[in-house]
Amino acid sequence: MLFRNNFARRALQSTVALAALTGSAFVPAAAADQEPITIVINQSPWFAGFQAVVEKYEEETGNTVELDVNPFAGSLEKQRTAVRSDESPFDLVIMNAGFFTEFYTGGFLDPLNAIDPEFKLSDDIYTFDDSVCWDAKAARITCETGELMSVPVNPNILILHYRSDLYQEHNLSVPETWDELLENAKVLKSQNMYGISQRGQRGAFDVTYDVFPYLWAYGGGIIDQQEDGSYRISMNSPETLAGMEMYLKLAEEVGHPSTAGQTQTNVIQNMATGRAAHIGSVLAPGLFDNPDKSAVVGKVDYAPPPGTAEHGSATPLGHWLAGVPKNIPDANKKAALAFLTWFQTDEAQRAYAEAGSAPVSRAVLTSEMADTQEFRWMKALADALPNARLTFTIPEASQVLAVTELRFNQAIGEEMPLNEALNTAATEIAKVLEDAGYKYQKLEDLN
Amino acid sequence: MSADRFWRHATLWPAILLFVALTILPLANLFALSFNDVEWVNRTPVWNWVGASNYQKLPDDNLLRAGLLNTVIFAVAAVAIQMLIGFVLALLTTQITRGRGFYRTIFILPILVPGIIIGAIWKLMYSYDFGVLNQVLHVFGLSALDWLGSPNLALLSVIIVDVWHWTPFCFLLLLAGLESLPDDIFEADRIDGATGWQILRDITLPLMMPAIIVTFVFRMILAFKVFDEIYLLTGGGPGTATEVISFTIYRRFFTEDQSGYGAAMSIAVIAIIAAMIIVATRATAGRGSKV
Repeated sequence: MLFRNNFARRALQSTVALAALTGSAFVPAAAADQEPITIVINQSPWFAGFQAVVEKYEEETGNTVELDVNPFAGSLEKQRTAVRSDESPFDLVIMNAGFFTEFYTGGFLDPLNAIDPEFKLSDDIYTFDDSVCWDAKAARITCETGELMSVPVNPNILILHYRSDLYQEHNLSVPETWDELLENAKVLKSQNMYGISQRGQRGAFDVTYDVFPYLWAYGGGIIDQQEDGSYRISMNSPETLAGMEMYLKLAEEVGHPSTAGQTQTNVIQNMATGRAAHIGSVLAPGLFDNPDKSAVVGKVDYAPPPGTAEHGSATPLGHWLAGVPKNIPDANKKAALAFLTWFQTDEAQRAYAEAGSAPVSRAVLTSEMADTQEFRWMKALADALPNARLTFTIPEASQVLAVTELRFNQAIGEEMPLNEALNTAATEIAKVLEDAGYKYQKLEDLN
Repeated sequence: MSADRFWRHATLWPAILLFVALTILPLANLFALSFNDVEWVNRTPVWNWVGASNYQKLPDDNLLRAGLLNTVIFAVAAVAIQMLIGFVLALLTTQITRGRGFYRTIFILPILVPGIIIGAIWKLMYSYDFGVLNQVLHVFGLSALDWLGSPNLALLSVIIVDVWHWTPFCFLLLLAGLESLPDDIFEADRIDGATGWQILRDITLPLMMPAIIVTFVFRMILAFKVFDEIYLLTGGGPGTATEVISFTIYRRFFTEDQSGYGAAMSIAVIAIIAAMIIVATRATAGRGSKV
């Protein structure tokens, strides 16, 4: 006899019923109408939001999306290997602003309208200096003559994070210039508090990314006039020198004692643990308002990076773009496009913001959400985006970055005098451009 | 050729073919690549012949120069310390009569920990703001040290991690060597009234020399290829303070996507390591014959 008593039978019946009910709860609301897709993406402060949106997509559509999550540099290498193979294991590659050009120039991505002629980028979605379009004949980024190649998934730009509670306590105003920031940081600096925590460690696109707001604020840069093909190396211009001098002044007078060794994680940690009064960082607002991860819940506010009276404020585009590799089956291309179509909707963009990441929709960033305490970062982002600029539009960006990451880091760590670091970097960048066959202009060395 | 001799040769061929397919062909491909630059046009790799120019660029590469120097400093310092500690621990373990297995297990624990976890553990311990090392210094009234961010300290910090990680390897090999030494020689020496120091200097060390040299060579080769500790702890920085040759190759080959130049760098490093192995093998053979 299978059941020794009624209790055992009833228990089994209840278990089966419960399992059936529970099982039905996990059945997606809609049946899948697309092939399963895999997205290769990097582990960033905004990843949690993207993951939440993917889960929502799966729940609503029944389609399956797998995420292949990697460190920043590892993600780039995986993407390169995938698009160069016979068949990519990834149906969407999430490319960083520093490197996307090499995917366009190498012919690795399908123009999105070649997959579906009806597909279009929503008017609400930022195009980030036309970086979503590529004119293959002219070999340049432009939406005037180019084809739509990608859809932005995250508007990474550097934003000033500051301790609003301390600003209120000391009656300080939000700084609009680097000099004002320095003065505020001096007021807030104490034995247990850094006036500012800056990223200075060398990586794939780390310290270079973080010094751009300083360089541009003083009229400097690394390679100017990339759009018109002039390639003026401004790495060792007096303006770049002035920008870096301000970066170093902040580091020395009010910054972290180990600025040359600070990673993005360290910088965010310093703010989250209450050790820093200011940081410049890509947005991770969900983190600072999460009581499980932050000691400064509700005490961090956001503003565009400071600038100068002469050149204003500018911030580097470090946004992420989703492209569809050529070397995947047609059904997967359509499935990838279905996800991108859904991702652009107002509903998806709001869900993205609600999950703690910054959306790429102008409509959502300027919606009523921006007026709430929870989404107070939206206003800063919307204000800063019009002044956000592309950093590199040449496929040799990774070689240029190898130079700048080292030389900036050496200058910050006092391993090399600043003038010498900038002059050396300019010479090395000229070599990269020369080897790649560009015509370029190089300035005289700084004294 | 007799049937027996024929079959002896024939049975070797699968192994030879596998060796050629898995070792010689990739190396030959790497060598060919080192004379080219690779460009991608419409998803197709185009190899452009550049002759020896990739090799000519090597001496001017500041990262390569720093990488080579740091690798030599790292390998010599780390391996010397590991050999010393490993040998002392092995000697002490052989003196233990009860619970030797327990101590052996304890001493080899670090080598069982995956590199990624070692990186995480030590990165936390070295943290300027939250690390336990600086908290200990603080307790004694000393200033915090910038373990991984200071150009003067960073390489030493990485060497400390490597010593912690790899000393068990030296300990194990040297312990095996010590345990295989014949007891009767030591007994005879003790009967003759030799002191512990005399036994160590005149009997143990000479008898152990082949094992010491083999362990040293193995560790030097592994130390020359260090990558994970650098990748996880410092990324080669600050500046070039912890740049090592494997990391430079990784950076040039993969991150910067200069596959031809990266291949030339790899071939040069393979040549250096091969030279090291030849020198070390000859030294081992020489010492072995004297002992």
